Amino acid sequence: MTQPTTRTAPAPRGPGRRPSVLLSKAGVTAMLGLAALYTLLPMLWLVLSSTKSRQDLFATNGFAPGDDFALLDNLQYLFEADNGIFLRWLLNTVLYAGVGALLATVFSVAAGYAFDKLDFPGKERIFSLVLLGVMVPGTAMAIPLYLIAAEAGLVNSFWGVFIPGLVFPFGVYLARVFSASYVPGEVLEAARVDGAGEFRTFCRIALPMVAPGFVTIFLFQFTQIWNSFFLPLVMLSDEELFPVNLGLYVWYSSALSQGHPQDYLLAIVGSLVSVVPLVVLFLMLQRFWKSGMTAGAVK
Amino acid sequence: MFRRRLTALVCSVAALGLLATGCGDSDGGTPAAEKGTGKITFWSFVKGSDKVAEAFNRSHPDIEVTFEAVPSGQEYYSKLTNAVKAGTVPDVAVAEFAQLPEFATQGKLEGLNDRLGPLVEDHFPEATRELVQLGGETWGVPRDAAPLMMFYRNDFFTSHGIDVPTTWAEYRTMTGQVRKADPKARGGVLYTDNPGLLTALAQQAGSQWFDTEKDAWKVSLTDAPSRKVADYWGDLAGQDLVHSLSSLDPFWTSVQQNRTVAYVCASWCAGAQQATVADQKGKWSVAPVPTWDGKPASAMYGGSSFVIPKGAKNSAAAAEFIKWITTDPEGMKAWVSTGTSSMFPADPRLVPVTKSAFPTDYFGGQDIYAVGSESYKSIVPGWTWGPVMGTTNTAVVDRLPKVADGGTKLIDVLADAQRATVEDMERRGMKVAP
Repeated sequence: MTQPTTRTAPAPRGPGRRPSVLLSKAGVTAMLGLAALYTLLPMLWLVLSSTKSRQDLFATNGFAPGDDFALLDNLQYLFEADNGIFLRWLLNTVLYAGVGALLATVFSVAAGYAFDKLDFPGKERIFSLVLLGVMVPGTAMAIPLYLIAAEAGLVNSFWGVFIPGLVFPFGVYLARVFSASYVPGEVLEAARVDGAGEFRTFCRIALPMVAPGFVTIFLFQFTQIWNSFFLPLVMLSDEELFPVNLGLYVWYSSALSQGHPQDYLLAIVGSLVSVVPLVVLFLMLQRFWKSGMTAGAVK
Repeated sequence: MFRRRLTALVCSVAALGLLATGCGDSDGGTPAAEKGTGKITFWSFVKGSDKVAEAFNRSHPDIEVTFEAVPSGQEYYSKLTNAVKAGTVPDVAVAEFAQLPEFATQGKLEGLNDRLGPLVEDHFPEATRELVQLGGETWGVPRDAAPLMMFYRNDFFTSHGIDVPTTWAEYRTMTGQVRKADPKARGGVLYTDNPGLLTALAQQAGSQWFDTEKDAWKVSLTDAPSRKVADYWGDLAGQDLVHSLSSLDPFWTSVQQNRTVAYVCASWCAGAQQATVADQKGKWSVAPVPTWDGKPASAMYGGSSFVIPKGAKNSAAAAEFIKWITTDPEGMKAWVSTGTSSMFPADPRLVPVTKSAFPTDYFGGQDIYAVGSESYKSIVPGWTWGPVMGTTNTAVVDRLPKVADGGTKLIDVLADAQRATVEDMERRGMKVAP
């Protein structure tokens, strides 16, 4: 993936127009190599550390394998710790991120499609509100959301974390772009002429056409909710409702200072297990993701 | 005298509208006789909290405690802050000594004088009381103190003929001897991610980072004792006589790999040492922390108390619970029931309880609680934590790693932290004496 493939012929190199070293093929490859190392080294550390016994974890180099291969023991310990709470956290995260992102994507695509294809009063004004939402970072929204949830009595409940995940302004923006480039107006005309209602047109004609965009938006929001930390931190106090990252942080944050190195190991193995679903999802949906990213690039 | 000044200070803050609570006896309050019953929730990141809640529920059928685990560190305090804002607080929450004044001066805690009466006076020595009493009101009840100690590898010291240092001058000599005996080993650590130990060492030297003068705060992170400590440790780190490491896994890795053979820490480190580096059993010993003039002097590195956040629904029952988990022998027993905690109770009368629960064969059977008791007695009194410790600590930690590379001096780190602290206090409308 890191090898840049250039199909077009290189630009003519006159004596006056030498491309800088950084932009040469070797330079670009080296930079991409660095970026790959930057991403992969922590993963390598995580994988290796997860296979170590508690003793080896501190006694051996972080990038060298340990003396014992303890991955299976560690996994067993992980899923048994605190009455198997880790599995619960994983399921919670799947609900928050999986179901939440799916619904968020449906809403986003429907809204983006409406913004693109339908006419209604105040359309551009409402759309600029959506754009405003894109610019406010999620973390900045956590406290206001928390205060609202407190008013609504949703603090420390499943809905307190789930509902905010359904709103995804950037997805609406993306969906509008996707709808503009994937769904030709003529097709919709034809559908309407054939007697399909607006809803039917959207579901049967437009939605399948923006499928790659749908997947892109889904993956964006899925990772966003999966990684969201501050909102669950303030919102949830009941361990049974924690998403996996918050649970791992609770284990990690007091492990070493309070003399519970076993919790530190739990946090490491738990981190490895919790990135697996993300990796699998990305590998499975890579095809869509890639075609979604370049949508409209040549139009 | 000091307390009266603080009263004036806290009240003047109240007058500015920053403190929602009343001062001293102006608080109408609830009758002290009211007996707590019903349900309460309890937030804590301290290990053993679940066991304590269970034990309390067993012995107190009228009160039902629900324990909720929270992460430790700054994340927890922002969670608690927001809970007070939203009115969704637990009835009982843990607060480390360093963070308590921040919550108290911002009116985020319930005063405990009416509910608990002289409990804090009766049970805790002055140096500890001062940490939870501000402006004549009691804001929290101490659970554990964290007196400083020195941990060292007895086997290493004996085989290389190194003496256990009792003064900081001797400590410096010791670090040189350690490096000479084993070029990879060091006799101490300057943590790059944790300002707590540095603060404690400054307190031990007689520094007063925070104080109150008339109606204003006085911030002096760079007073003479502080300067002495910063120069000393900056020099040790600069000369590569001690490690500069993160206090998390890099530190424990260095201990496990025999690269750290002595370090200064608090009482609770004994449990951490034993659990994290189990195979060095019998090799470690504990000694009093070295001092500047050879006379006993100590300070606290850590320590926690329990508070009732403002807006708690059932503070009568909360007070009962706090009383039990901090001053009742049965409550203390529940904290240490796993036998892995070497925490030092803030109430000296409870030392036998924790002592009997912590087996010391890891330390060759040494009476580490005796060392702890001596250290606790010699804590330099008069320490006050500042009202924006989050900012102060972040400012120190952000710059600490540069000390090790020689990029900056430790005292300059403190000077920068001083500036950041004063700026933040003024931004929040607090009066700071020049």
